[in-house]
Parts: sequence; C-alpha cells; structure tokens
Amino acid sequence: MSNRKQKTENRKPDSRKPSKTVVWFLLRLLGMALGGIFFYAGLMKHYHNWDFAEAVLAYQLAPMWLAGLVAAVLPWVELIAGGLLVMGLKRRSCLLLIALLAAAFLVILVVTMARGLKIDCGCGLFFQRQVGLVAIAEDLALLAGALGLYWWEWKAVSSDQGPGGRG
Amino acid sequence: MRGKGLVRGRGLLRQDLAWAAFLLVLALAFGLGKHWSLVSLSLQGKLTAHLEEMRAQRRQKQFQGVKTLKLAQAYELFQKGQSLFVDARSPQEYAELHIAGAVNLPPQEAEKPNNPAIADIAKERQIVVYCAEAHCDIALKVAEKLQALGFTQVAAFLGGFKAWDEAGYPVDTSQ
Repeated sequence: MSNRKQKTENRKPDSRKPSKTVVWFLLRLLGMALGGIFFYAGLMKHYHNWDFAEAVLAYQLAPMWLAGLVAAVLPWVELIAGGLLVMGLKRRSCLLLIALLAAAFLVILVVTMARGLKIDCGCGLFFQRQVGLVAIAEDLALLAGALGLYWWEWKAVSSDQGPGGRG
Repeated sequence: MRGKGLVRGRGLLRQDLAWAAFLLVLALAFGLGKHWSLVSLSLQGKLTAHLEEMRAQRRQKQFQGVKTLKLAQAYELFQKGQSLFVDARSPQEYAELHIAGAVNLPPQEAEKPNNPAIADIAKERQIVVYCAEAHCDIALKVAEKLQALGFTQVAAFLGGFKAWDEAGYPVDTSQ
C-alpha cells in the first residue's frame, strides 16, 4: 500500500466516534438533568421556606435581613433557571446562573468547613447532609457540568457549528 | 474568520449575561412577592425569634410527651451525679468531645433491637439526651425512642453540646 493511499484512509471519518447529533442529544440530556436537579432543589426550598431560612442563618455568614432575602429569592432563582433549562429556553443564561449559584455555594461551603461549623448544608436535595467534603464534591460536579455545558453551547453557536441553536 | 467568531462569541456572552440578569430580577420579584412575610420579619430583625417559636410549636406537636431540659437544669442533674447523659450525635463528633461521662447513642443505634449499649441501664434511671445544638432534633428522637423502650425518666437537653461547652461545663474525650 502506498503512503498516499494510507494517508487517505487515515482521513476517513472514524465510525466509532459518536456523531455530532448524538453528542448534541447527550449534552442536551445532561442540561435537562442539571436543570431538573436545580428545579427540584428550588421546589424543596420554596415549600420548606422557613426551614431553608433556618439553614441560611445557621451558616452565620449573612446579617439577618440578608439571610431572609436569600431564603426568599434563592429558591426562585433555582426554580426559574432549572425550569427554563429543562424546557430548553434561554439555556446559556440559565447555565450561567446555575454556575454562579454553584460557585458562590462552593465558596460558602469551603469557608464554613474552615470555620469548623458542623451544620446541615441546606442543599434541598434528596437527603439531609452536613457541610463537608461530600457536599463540596457534589457542588464541584454541578459547577463543572454548568460551565462545561455553557462552554460547549457558546462555542457551537459562536462558530456556527452543529445544532447549538438559539439559547 | 477566527477573529469574527471571537467577536461574535463576546457579543453572545454579553447577551447571555443580560438575560441572566433579567432572570435574576424576575426571581427577585417572585421571591419578594411569594415570601414577603419572611423578608419582612428579617428586615424587622424578628426572623430568629419567629423561627424559634415555630420550632418550639413543631416540636411540641411532633414530640408530645418528651420532657425537655434547659442548660441550668441539665447541669444541676449532672452535679448530682445520678443521671446518665446520652450523646445522640455521630460517633465521630462524640469521639472529638462530649459531656463528661456521657455514652454515645446515635438514632440509628437506638433503633436497633436489644442494643447492648442500653441493655444494662435500669429502666427507672434518670437519662438526659443531648445532640449538637439547639436546632437539632435527634436528642428528642432518641429520647422518644428510649421512652418507647420503657425508660421512665428520660429528658432531652435542648441546648445541646454547644451550649454546654460554651458554658465551660465539664467535657471529655474518653470513650
């Protein structure tokens, strides 16, 4: 086999590589899952609003007026960003909001752990857990997911690649 | 081409940030509208008092029949030396520091049938159960469980280990 022929064969698309549409579908699914997680967390905080206010106060980071404001508004940020992301509306902006929430919460978790406070994380998910390495790992995964998905969508739309679409 | 893409990308980021800011304002409006009573209480500086009142009411309903103790009452019993102090926190927290002479009994241990940790304790002995701090409910849960097991003199110390430690009362690291 000549060198030229070999090079031509090497350029053939790899059939084992997933197609762009499959990747797009999987990433959309990931986005919906991420949105679902935040929507659910927001819903729990909305329905158990006083408990959430207590959890915010337990962090001892914000004055009382700010803790009350956070307890009232944060569930709605999660509900709106998570809900719209699930529906596929304004995805990139929702991912930015989710990344912002996850980044802020990461800082709060690290500071709280450094202060040695043993409190419930108030994350509003499927089970109660204390501020600690597990909560930090979960938050890091959510942050990485949101930033990764945003980067992928931003790259796809800004270079007109693939079915990135109107986000 | 690449430069064009970058300029387009920056424009896209600005647009995304603007929409994110709009969604944030929307969340603020919904949050204030739906939870105004909470915001109003926090602005008046009454949120903590209100939460404590709510917690007390909930506990009264949920843990009917469980006697509760304040710090001074718990310390009085401790000084008499007749009471058994039960630490309902996790074994890790217990190992770090606990009320002197206390035994560790987390809720999941209290649930176990024929638990050797409580098998030798006389049913009529005065028992004081505590957890980490005033917000936690596990002291009440364990106290309720002990009552159900037939212990007649059980009380939950609601201030928890935090209040005890801050008061400078005797603590210990031994198991």
